[in-house]
Amino acid sequence: MSASSFNPFHMAQSQFDKIAHMLELDSAVREFLRNPVREYSFLIPVRMDDGSVQVFRGFRVQHNDSRGPSKGGIRFHPQETLDTVRALAMWMTWKCATVDIPLGGGKGGVICDPHNLSAREQEGVCRGWVRQLARNVGPYQDVPAPDVMTSAQHMLWMLDEYEKISGEKAPGFITGKPVGMGGSLGRTEATGFGVIFTVREALKELGIRPSDTTASVQGFGNVSQYAIRLLTQIGGTVICVSCWDQKDQTSYAFRKKTGLDLDELLGITDRFGGIDKGKAKDLGYEVLPGDEWISQEVDILIPAALEHQVTGDTVKKISPKVRIIAEGANGPTTPEADQILFDRNVFVIPDLLCNAGGVTCSYFEQVQSNMNYFWEKDEVLGKLDVKMTTAYLAVSDLAQRRKQNMRNAAYLIAVDRVARACRDRGWV
Amino acid sequence: MNDSQESFDQMLAALRERAKELNCLYAVEELLGNPKIGLEDVIDGILAAIPPGWQYPDHCEAKIIIDGTEYASPGFVETLWFQSADIVAQDQTIGRIRVYYTQQMPVADDGPFLKEETRLIKTIADRIGHYIHHTRMRQVYHEWEAAKKDRRGKDHGDWRTILDLLIHTDKNLYTRMSHKMLNQLCWSGIREAEELLERSDLYRKSDAEELMSDSNRPYQKRSYSFPMELGEETFRIAAEHLSDEDIMGRIQKWMQEDKLGFLVRAVERNLSLPEVADAIRRYHHISSKEDELSKPSRAGVRVSLIRRFLSDQLQYIRIAKEYLGIKDFYDLLQYIIFAAESHGRLGGKSAGLYLASQILKREALNNPDLGTVKTPKTWHVTSDMQLNFMHYNNLDEIVEQKYKEISQVRFEYPYIVHTCKNSRFPPELTQGLSVALDDMGERPLIVRSSSVLEDRVGAAFSGKYKSLFLANQGSKQDRLAALQDAIAEVYASMFGPDPIEYRSERGLLDFAEEMGIMIQEVVGTKIGKYFLPSFAGVAFSRNEFRWSPRIQREDGLIRMVPGLGTRAVDRLSDDYPIMFSPGQPGLRVNVSVDEILRYSPRWVDVINLETNDFETVDAAELFAQSGDHIPGASQIVSVLENEQVRRLSLADTEVNKNDLVVTFAGLMENKKFVKQMHAILQTLEEKMGNPVDIEFAHDGSDLYLLQCRPQSHADNSAPVPIPKDLPEERVIFTANRFVSNGLVPDISHIVYVDPERYSALPNRELLGEVGRVVSKLNKMLPKRQFILMGPGRWGSRGDIKLGVNVTYSDINNTAVLIEIARKQGNYTPDLSFGTHFFQDLVEARIRYLPLYPDERGNVFNERFLTHSANILGHLLPEHSGLEDTVRVIDVTQSAHGSVLRILMNADLDEAVGVLSRPSSERPIVLDSDGSAVPMASHTHWHWRLHMAERLARQIDPERFGVKGFYVFGSTKNGTAGPGSDIDLLVHFVGTQEQREQLEHWLRGWSLCLDELNYLRTGYRHDGLLDVHIVTDEDIRRKTSYAVKIGAVTDAARELPIGGRAESPPTS
Repeated sequence: MSASSFNPFHMAQSQFDKIAHMLELDSAVREFLRNPVREYSFLIPVRMDDGSVQVFRGFRVQHNDSRGPSKGGIRFHPQETLDTVRALAMWMTWKCATVDIPLGGGKGGVICDPHNLSAREQEGVCRGWVRQLARNVGPYQDVPAPDVMTSAQHMLWMLDEYEKISGEKAPGFITGKPVGMGGSLGRTEATGFGVIFTVREALKELGIRPSDTTASVQGFGNVSQYAIRLLTQIGGTVICVSCWDQKDQTSYAFRKKTGLDLDELLGITDRFGGIDKGKAKDLGYEVLPGDEWISQEVDILIPAALEHQVTGDTVKKISPKVRIIAEGANGPTTPEADQILFDRNVFVIPDLLCNAGGVTCSYFEQVQSNMNYFWEKDEVLGKLDVKMTTAYLAVSDLAQRRKQNMRNAAYLIAVDRVARACRDRGWV
Repeated sequence: MNDSQESFDQMLAALRERAKELNCLYAVEELLGNPKIGLEDVIDGILAAIPPGWQYPDHCEAKIIIDGTEYASPGFVETLWFQSADIVAQDQTIGRIRVYYTQQMPVADDGPFLKEETRLIKTIADRIGHYIHHTRMRQVYHEWEAAKKDRRGKDHGDWRTILDLLIHTDKNLYTRMSHKMLNQLCWSGIREAEELLERSDLYRKSDAEELMSDSNRPYQKRSYSFPMELGEETFRIAAEHLSDEDIMGRIQKWMQEDKLGFLVRAVERNLSLPEVADAIRRYHHISSKEDELSKPSRAGVRVSLIRRFLSDQLQYIRIAKEYLGIKDFYDLLQYIIFAAESHGRLGGKSAGLYLASQILKREALNNPDLGTVKTPKTWHVTSDMQLNFMHYNNLDEIVEQKYKEISQVRFEYPYIVHTCKNSRFPPELTQGLSVALDDMGERPLIVRSSSVLEDRVGAAFSGKYKSLFLANQGSKQDRLAALQDAIAEVYASMFGPDPIEYRSERGLLDFAEEMGIMIQEVVGTKIGKYFLPSFAGVAFSRNEFRWSPRIQREDGLIRMVPGLGTRAVDRLSDDYPIMFSPGQPGLRVNVSVDEILRYSPRWVDVINLETNDFETVDAAELFAQSGDHIPGASQIVSVLENEQVRRLSLADTEVNKNDLVVTFAGLMENKKFVKQMHAILQTLEEKMGNPVDIEFAHDGSDLYLLQCRPQSHADNSAPVPIPKDLPEERVIFTANRFVSNGLVPDISHIVYVDPERYSALPNRELLGEVGRVVSKLNKMLPKRQFILMGPGRWGSRGDIKLGVNVTYSDINNTAVLIEIARKQGNYTPDLSFGTHFFQDLVEARIRYLPLYPDERGNVFNERFLTHSANILGHLLPEHSGLEDTVRVIDVTQSAHGSVLRILMNADLDEAVGVLSRPSSERPIVLDSDGSAVPMASHTHWHWRLHMAERLARQIDPERFGVKGFYVFGSTKNGTAGPGSDIDLLVHFVGTQEQREQLEHWLRGWSLCLDELNYLRTGYRHDGLLDVHIVTDEDIRRKTSYAVKIGAVTDAARELPIGGRAESPPTS
């Protein structure tokens, strides 16, 4: 493979380099933060259903744990590479630091395709992973979570193996557990609500009353649905939402200029967030081509579906009325569009901050698990509000002081917090 | 007046004759029934009784000969005018009866005799035959009783008594036995016997020598009656060499066989079904054990019965004779509806199901995994009942429907359905159906076709004819009417355009197709107003859709759904059945929660008992409302809770409809069902000698087999022979792992994403752009005529370096999805097997093929793929930056008119992509006006092109402001199929008003052509024309379809418009 080919880790490093340069970090700190502190690469032999043994390669990367135990998912992927895992681990470090939760960044995985494994064999992979790493992970060292192709079931197998080895119950070892088995309430709402907590703060900062705003949302999955619910609750009007139509293999935007009624729409939505377009018409919604969500004359745009949605091309369609773009999805805005939006004075709430409600709730799950006391949903969501609002204010404050956009500000705060922790500990 | 008087007299005379005949018969009966008088007196009496029964008693006399003895009326004189009938007892002609006129009489039906008289004499002869047989048997009985008394005290020699009896009672049987014994002795090499045989003049050594010598003279036939006298000698020899028990045993066996001989004769002669049925019933009553017949005759009878009732296919017979006993036919007979003269069969579907169910029943004794497999109660209507039905209604000419033009067939089909539905049923059929309905009660029914052709050409043909569900509720009269209506519709479906077209394409038109009917109880339970099985589906003993390299073809495939199996049989665009491989049940198609939810069945087909209708209902709603009543519901549905899917539990008292997901997780975990299905598929494949597919249903407690047939290869999915001598330069690639079956005929474009270049792309944006390019190409290139070849895993999301980041909608028009696993260092990456949208590919019949170019023995023509002209820049100038990575090859252009053909053969696990002549390129003849275009698949494009040309000529350039008229796409490329539209490009320079007029005009044509195309092919759109109007501005800016004009590849072809140019040749 040629050296110039796309490498996610190199990309993450160059992004860091840019921030480090702005922060004028010294070379040792840079060297330390550019790379993971620890990497484990190991083999997992698994007895297959037919009696043979297959050997899998497993990874765990702990990018930085200066602020607390590493936190990050475990992916099952047939072509997992160490560089991908490194990049994602670094991203976790910055994300946790942005919302100021006392956790570091980690990521792990196993090279395998669960489509080729029976449930029992997958259990073997999970237990084998923990067996190899039991001494290097744990509630106070490194806390895994579900990720690509892993689910709550995998987490429970891993937890069980960990507890068997450690000889004690340790629900804080892992997050993403089902409610009643060490999971946290409020998990479903967390990301969507988190998005709106930041939007609410942004409106406050821009001096706009929520009740005077309209919004258009891309996607009608979990995040969008709860974002729409909360935005409506605080007085905003969502007039347009787009979603994928499985049958037509295309997306549509549903618009009602007087404001859409979430519960009414949920009544005609399948479990993948596909809205029945015939019924929507009957309910008085206009059915438009899917990409129309972005050109609506609204105050707030919430891309909450896919990456690379706001690009150099599509950015031109954004109405001059738009004041805020809240990145509910990961990486919806390309760097080119980012610059244009900044020039146009559109306020972008970056993904690092905007959709951090999820990871914050994972942190809450870990806290609750460690003390084996579980909060009511209101308590979880209340604490989430506090965390998100605080984080927002810090980022926005820095952005104003340093005349930076919100994305750079979020990165600056994150890297600065981690660098400081490393220095304070006397590491570098 | 005179006339009528005359005819009245005639009638009277006729009636008088009938009365005379009857009197005669009574007189004969009386004589035969009188136990007190002897044979001679009886005969004398009959001789006297005969003349009064005939038309001219005064000139009538009779003669009877029995066992060589003549009896005649006094003063009998033989004349020329007589009729005769043989007297038969125990299948042997023992004499005859003759009736004479003493002088010439007026000519009637049969010489001077009436046809009634012919019947009468025959009846009398039969009665005498029976009488004599009866008397003899009575005699035997008495002698037997006497012998038994006599025998007491003697130890052996039982057989001698029997022979003595036989000599007196049944000389024929005696000689047959003697002959058999002599043969037996000769075969055992007993010299004495051989000498006897030689002496007997029956057989001489010289004959044997003559036979052995390879002479081509016919062997001289000699008279071949075994002399009575030899019997004694034969059994003397036998007594010397064989034990008494041995002889006795043989004699008993031979006698038994002789007794059952009628069955052998009944099935061997081409008797009608009722006669065969009688023979089977008789056999059933006198012999309960089949081994009373010798092995060869048992096999003979079985084979004949199989041939008569089920199939004359040799392979079928070979298997069936091992599994179907005579008793089974007795059982089957109870459920067959046939006419008096019927010679029909049950048809392919019935034959397949019946054999499969018998195989499973038998094999279950050795293989406990098979468990109990039931078949629903089924009534059969024989295939010739359809002809009866048509004769009865004077519809015979419908049979010739198949020789009409397909457009006419299509046009007339609705009328034929209508006619059939309004026809009357022959009384025999009505009566049979009525009995069947009484037997089945108010159970919902399915009426299936079971045609003779289906049996012959295999499964590919089935599905062309109708199967109809009946709720079967209400009064008997209503139910019978509904059943008849359904059968009429199924009958009519034989004359539908689809099967006729199919037969025409395969040269099967002249085959005398007949359709049997299966009336089957629907398996299931009544749930509220609905009736449905708990679940049902189809299963294949060979898995042609492997989603993991760990799955072998032999692991099989099951597609199942809750409710009626219709949704598993058909491929639906908006719903998915649950699929699993019974040999590898742990390897599921869908693993993550999202996949499980996305690909779970959402709808259920049911029968609504209130409306007597077939209905589709929401699965989650059905289970939420009636789950408690659906047997085995907890095996079928799971609960979505906290973003996890778990099994439904007894403790779940109230479950939200939105949280229910059909997964069959319970059924999978309970290994019994999986094992059973696997065992069924393996057993049937092994015993039937070829891969099978079956339909099944489950009512929560029992599994039912609904259909079994050789695994179908519909829609170009049969294994294709792979030629071995392909010229190397024409082969683009070969594959030798995880190959499925099929032929992909005419690929005009290849989209090749170069694996090395792709992985060398420097950033994520560019990698993502490749996905968008593919998506755009998917919309531009001719549907199902291009293939996508790309590295690693199509549909990668996170790490899109591993494969192009596309969703299903970005690739849904491709014919084949190819993944290339290039070696990287010393390891070959895993391919995805299309897992990201596996079920979508299956339902859309998009083929998947993995290539391993670096493996020994594989061809990968990188030169063709990387050096052929790349037209990406022309198609998508905005993406020309990716030209090195994404290569779009116009095969026809790069390979001098050839197309790419992909041949795939799963049996060999081999596939090859080879450059070939397009299959549409065959000589065709066109009428001057194009009206009589011959109907074959390759003419679809030609007809379209012709129409486009006509359209162009008709267009008035002035009136509509048209400057140019172009055709492109499949019509221009000669690849249009029956369902293709006609892509037109109109260069427009007029006013808005003209444009409206033009669009209006074209719309009219579009609808009209659509109707024509429907009649030709059965495909209907909302208009056949796909018109793109472009302006000067478009052409200048090369926007949208304007690029097609003068394009480098696949350019639109200009057609002469209006009267501007002379009309071009049409072909």
